[in-house]
Amino acid sequence: MRCWDLFCRVVDNYGDIGICWRLARQLADLSGEGEDQVRVRLWVDDLESFARLCPAISPRLPVQGVAFIEVCHWSADFPSVDAADVVIEAFACELPPTYIAAMARRATPPVWINLEYLSAEDWVEDCHLLPSPHPTSSLKKYFFFPGFTPGTGGLLRERDLMRMRLAFDAAAEAVFWQSIGIPPRANAELRVSLFCYENPAVPELLQGWAEGPTPIRVLTAPGAATEQSSQWLGRELVVGRSVQVGALTVHAIPFLAQDNYDRLLWSCDINFVRGEDSFVRAQWAQRPFVWQIYPQSEDAHFVKLEAFLSRFLHEVSDPTAISECWRAWNGRGRISFAWPNYVANLAQIRRYGEVWACQLDHAENLANNLVRFVREQL
Amino acid sequence: MSVKLAGELQSGNVIIVDSNPVVVLKAQYNKSGRNSAVVKVRMKNLMTERISEAIYKADEKLEGVMLERKDCTYSYYAAPMQVFVDSEFNPYEIHEETLADITKYLIPDMTDVCEVTFYEGRPISVLLPKTIIREVEYTEPVVRGDTSGKITKTAVLKHTKHELQVSGFVEIGDKIEIDTETGDFKKRIA
Repeated sequence: MRCWDLFCRVVDNYGDIGICWRLARQLADLSGEGEDQVRVRLWVDDLESFARLCPAISPRLPVQGVAFIEVCHWSADFPSVDAADVVIEAFACELPPTYIAAMARRATPPVWINLEYLSAEDWVEDCHLLPSPHPTSSLKKYFFFPGFTPGTGGLLRERDLMRMRLAFDAAAEAVFWQSIGIPPRANAELRVSLFCYENPAVPELLQGWAEGPTPIRVLTAPGAATEQSSQWLGRELVVGRSVQVGALTVHAIPFLAQDNYDRLLWSCDINFVRGEDSFVRAQWAQRPFVWQIYPQSEDAHFVKLEAFLSRFLHEVSDPTAISECWRAWNGRGRISFAWPNYVANLAQIRRYGEVWACQLDHAENLANNLVRFVREQL
Repeated sequence: MSVKLAGELQSGNVIIVDSNPVVVLKAQYNKSGRNSAVVKVRMKNLMTERISEAIYKADEKLEGVMLERKDCTYSYYAAPMQVFVDSEFNPYEIHEETLADITKYLIPDMTDVCEVTFYEGRPISVLLPKTIIREVEYTEPVVRGDTSGKITKTAVLKHTKHELQVSGFVEIGDKIEIDTETGDFKKRIA
């Protein structure tokens, strides 16, 4: 059995810990034998944020076991511990100097991996698994890039995800809606989940929905989606209560743990997602989704957005319904102009989402790719 | 020794990697997530001559090496070495592979003053001036009516046959100014 240490700093929002927690669980769930079995220790600097994502976590405990994973608080005063066989720093978080010293003391250096951000750009394949040798020590770090092609590290996906997705039928959906206090679906109602960064297009979208011909129930996630919806409504949204304006019903939902957020994505007709983790989960959900990419300086995010659109839509005969809506949602174009065409093509977009998820499912998942790489190095 | 940020690396820089001096042959900068960036580096170990690739965070601090530098001019090619001479006509040979990207601008009788870098007395890299002027050997006919420079086409440089994108109004025989850091066409000289 090999020991893996996974380091996570919560920089902003829940993306970092969301991805690390998924990875930790998927590594712990690997069915390998002998040395391919994995014992995971997850170091997190912000247990309060982690506890919102995983209610089983106690923010007060410096060390605790959850789901066969040892969760440790990464405090400023880092404890003296032995370095693991495999060390993963998520998103280039700086490891504690004492821990790096412990890595250098090992008779066999650990396999040290920097897990990078997801991107669909071509250069990712050229950089995946390149070493990053240290100036003076023999420690060598490798950059591991998630991605959408076989030349990258792949995507996070649980072993049984697609089976669970398939088993999630109408009855399961009804149980889920009830569990989060949402009434059963009315006829012809469109259900939309809204999870976003602060986005100037939100009021325009909500206004368009309120004035539109189709009844829409939007489920706003805590944070910017609920705050901006409250501002548009002129009153504070309360979790569990609905507010109706014209054809639109706005419903603020509580913070959902990861498994329940998946169920939300599986249950909605359209999902607005953001960043990295929910973006990937929306693809596995096989429902139409609209992505708000993490905004970057010098508009670097648009290059990444176009790179994904190019991969995602390369087999779609008329990709404008999706691409124009996504661009508008990210600040290039008017969402009120793009939305009618998007929703008019919803059935086709949904079918294509199923085909896309199937294509992604044929590739090896990120956790297995990591384990294979580690096996080759040790 | 000096501190060098990975994001500032250029071909010709020498850094310490795994306690060995390496010369950067090519540095490719890419934006990663959340306003961070990575730099892919093709480099040559000056002790073993081995060429390898590595990647660094753009804000990673690396150890740069203080090196001796001398102004030289290009003299001739004696495969596989490119030969430069200083003001006293001392010749310095550098393997063409080490020069990587700049060989496409090396032409007979060029007068551009180049900066040759030495590590322990050995020439290891050459830096061209920021801009150079070269002659166009071939390009498609002039794009009529375009004086904006927004329409581009491919041009082939005399001697090296290097291809680059130039403005539509550039003609065969024109002298053009090229940015040696980006490889981009800057303007037509004559």
